[in-house]
Amino acid sequence: MARKVLSIQSHVVHGYVGNKAATFPLQYRGWDVDALNTVQFSNHPGYGHFKGFRSEASDLQGIIEKGLLGGLDIQYDAVLTGYLPDIEGLRAIGKTLIKLCEKDHRVKWVLDPVLGDNGKLYVPEEAIPVYRDILTHGAVYLATPNQFEMEVLTGVQICDLASLKQSIQQFHELYPRVQNVVVTSVSFHSAGDSISELICACSEQESRRAHYFKVPKIDAQFSGSGDLCSALLLDSFLTQNPAARDLCAALNQVLSLVDSILLNTFELYKASIAAPPLKINDLRLIESRELLKQTTAPKYVPIKL
Amino acid sequence: MPRLLATQSHVVHGYVGNKAATFPLQCMGWDVDCLNSVQFSNHTGYGRDRVFGTCTSAQQLESVFEGLAAFGDYDAVLSGYLPNRESVACMARNYKKMKERQPELIWLLDPVMGDDGQLYVNEDVIPEYEALVTSSLVDVITPNQFELEILYGKHISDLASLRRALEKLHETVPVIVVTSCSSELFGDPSHLYCVASTRGHPATVYRVPVIESYFTGVGDLFSALLLDRLYNTRQDSGSSHLDINQVLDVVQKVLATTLQHSPANIKAAMGSPIEMKLMELRIVESRDHYVQFECPRNFIYRQL
Repeated sequence: MARKVLSIQSHVVHGYVGNKAATFPLQYRGWDVDALNTVQFSNHPGYGHFKGFRSEASDLQGIIEKGLLGGLDIQYDAVLTGYLPDIEGLRAIGKTLIKLCEKDHRVKWVLDPVLGDNGKLYVPEEAIPVYRDILTHGAVYLATPNQFEMEVLTGVQICDLASLKQSIQQFHELYPRVQNVVVTSVSFHSAGDSISELICACSEQESRRAHYFKVPKIDAQFSGSGDLCSALLLDSFLTQNPAARDLCAALNQVLSLVDSILLNTFELYKASIAAPPLKINDLRLIESRELLKQTTAPKYVPIKL
Repeated sequence: MPRLLATQSHVVHGYVGNKAATFPLQCMGWDVDCLNSVQFSNHTGYGRDRVFGTCTSAQQLESVFEGLAAFGDYDAVLSGYLPNRESVACMARNYKKMKERQPELIWLLDPVMGDDGQLYVNEDVIPEYEALVTSSLVDVITPNQFELEILYGKHISDLASLRRALEKLHETVPVIVVTSCSSELFGDPSHLYCVASTRGHPATVYRVPVIESYFTGVGDLFSALLLDRLYNTRQDSGSSHLDINQVLDVVQKVLATTLQHSPANIKAAMGSPIEMKLMELRIVESRDHYVQFECPRNFIYRQL
């Protein structure tokens, strides 16, 4: 029987972000993905233009509570939440999932607290206290903030390894119910500097074991890479033997696979245009499906934080 | 990588509409843009009172189409279930524009109106589909027998009237695949009969053994696979003369995989949620069936 995940994110008709970035890789790796779309946009806003609409909070809540959990009684192995631009929707879905994870400990919640990136918010400011509240009360299994989101959620500026470690400690203090945290795309440089590597860190609430990886940075910006990363983390972490889960190993595998997919995307773009692109709007997930099929050999070395 | 725009329903749980079409096509290397005409918790076979969610309004659909204009040319467009007259008209208007700009685009229209004598859309949808079918812009239609009768305007009681219906519709549609014919036509309830007809060629009757169960989404899977087949036939030979053995073979394999994964002796029935849940197509488990390496089985029964 395929494992079941409920993935609550945005839908773009064209391109690969949100549910479009998460669904195909998870399906290709054998997950039965129930995709609940919080918006339906023609494409992601990174293009500079898009059209579409958002789903109403009450409709989304109705689908989950009356439909999936009430009427169909579906036993999920995991829930994945990403971009939820509507505050009402975020609150309603937060409440529903907090209840679900309380009632049924088999459901593992992977939460990407999508607030913004590189010092800029992409959601209204009111989303911040709502996420703090969800992380305080919800039995979240894994949270995957990026550097900016980690700073907002902990109040600690990250500018070196010491402050990264401090922010992780603060995260565990503030949100003791969150069992695992992965902090993605950390850099200690100021904006505008050219960066050759990014840091990704992970830590477990119970053991407080924290590690980090240095990942070489490809010289381009990829939309949807964060969404792909949290989906693949869900797969690689939750398919491990539950008695011996190893977050650090899961993260290494995912970073290695994402790196291969980004490189493949980059090469395909380079082949189609003259100058190397700085901004890549659409991940080439379909052309990377052979990479998704294989078990990726870990490329990086974990360093104790 | 060929690009497709598919406008049909989205269910959060289960595999009908875009959920049945998208993953198989992606596995075959298609870049699929999915425009969802509804977002429901599950398909309506679970019972009408167990479906939650919303229809995309025609204004909302129109707005997404406007946004998509930035992404240029598709190799194919497909439409399936659309909930009402306004949404069919909106799809029709936008697909027409694309087809007129780019005549080599393949347009597959599944005129989803009903089955077995029962309409599941409002009657005012019928003239919209009739207008599309006679517009000479659509390349392929995939009606079941009931939908074919609606489009033809007459009851089809024997093979002669089936031939006349195809002949009439071929005046404006080059490829017609009748996805399921009533068992009376061939006097054989142990098989499902399907007729594929390309203008200027004799129509071919295919048959597959009947599986005693109630599957949903098979038609949506079928039309997605058919589109891939037609695209590749045209690429390879420049012709639209189709052999659908491969399409039927993949569908049969998905159904066999679905049965393998269901508890023995479950026969799904309308309105029974537990059984419906177990009979959802195993689209994901069938991952390795979509790209075929060996020769498909032969399902050809005879010429029509």
